Amino acid sequence: MSEAVVPPRALWVPFDLGRPLGAIDDSEFQKNVMRTAFGLLDTAVEPTIEDYQIEAPDKGLSDTWSCPLNLTSESSGSLGERLLAEVARLRPWAIETRRQRGRTLFGISGAREDQVDELARQFAAIAETGEVTSEPVTDEISWAFEMPLLLRHIADDLRTFYHEAIAAQPGGNAPDHDALSRWIFSDTVLGETLVLVADGLTKAPDSPMAQLVRGLLIPEGHYRGGSAFPKETKFPIDPAT
Amino acid sequence: MVRLSDLHPVESDHLRMRAEAMPAIGPGEWITPPQLDQATVAIVSTAGLHRRIDPPFAVGSLDYRIIPGDIQFDDLVLSHISANFDRSAFGQDPNIVFPIDRLRELASAGEIGGVARWHYSFMGAMPDPSQFEETGEEIGQLMAQDGVDVAFLVPI
Repeated sequence: MSEAVVPPRALWVPFDLGRPLGAIDDSEFQKNVMRTAFGLLDTAVEPTIEDYQIEAPDKGLSDTWSCPLNLTSESSGSLGERLLAEVARLRPWAIETRRQRGRTLFGISGAREDQVDELARQFAAIAETGEVTSEPVTDEISWAFEMPLLLRHIADDLRTFYHEAIAAQPGGNAPDHDALSRWIFSDTVLGETLVLVADGLTKAPDSPMAQLVRGLLIPEGHYRGGSAFPKETKFPIDPAT
Repeated sequence: MVRLSDLHPVESDHLRMRAEAMPAIGPGEWITPPQLDQATVAIVSTAGLHRRIDPPFAVGSLDYRIIPGDIQFDDLVLSHISANFDRSAFGQDPNIVFPIDRLRELASAGEIGGVARWHYSFMGAMPDPSQFEETGEEIGQLMAQDGVDVAFLVPI
């Protein structure tokens, strides 16, 4: 993509998406990436793309990581009951991560941290009913988006809650994106719920936005083994369409 | 940017298709900034970052958010629309996406001249970057008024 944009000076880095500076909590590694990029200000005399040769020391665990909690035990009751039970088991760990970090990324949907149960209840209801065109009715949460884009951010808030819960658990390196996605879609009620909501978007009235949100809900390769994106996606799309 | 071979094959094919379809943009005017130890640096992110009080990014957003140079990480959130990158890394260490602490350290050590008062965030995942021309010109003007010599673009 840089070859098309032709920036004056670019440093290509071999790091995972979401980790452009390479290594978490490693200030020297991060600064060395920046020093190499800034070095192009001295050396480049024409548009230049240079390769960064140093791999990140902590790419995150992929093949060897598994969640210590056996969430598959939440196997009885309705989808909503099972999702709420799963959230309840993860809650102490999510609270601990927020205490340690003093911050959270939860809340883009409009829900507060203490409203995760209501968020999960509403998301499960959407999955069970397939209703993806009307905003969920709740007295508790002031939604920050309209449907169907709201679905994408509810999903992301719930995923953030799960990721923050995992982060506090004892053990070595954190899982990488692939391991987290495999865990969500293989071992959790949340994964089951996400796929059902995506199914609902597939069946929605002919709306490019609904089809697009389906692709934005689930990482590539995890929607029934393939892409959730429609074949053609054009931007910008009017959210009203 | 990740190696395509490190991605899920479906995502890899998707990005390859996007890259092949992307229209050519540059090159722009060649500018030589002052020596780095005299230069003021601003971060331009495409991670969909913003302060918690700011409106989140919408699908296909062409606008941007301002991030003050004294931002605290408990006030910085991310509403990028893609589900295909690792948000947990940003949750653990925001500097891996928005390295404002690293810029402050480089400034304290005299390696760069200073840290800009304002930084800027877009949401990427835009197949045609030329649509950012108007807002790009705008933040270029803002950075010039802020005394910025170097824009450090950090894609997600």
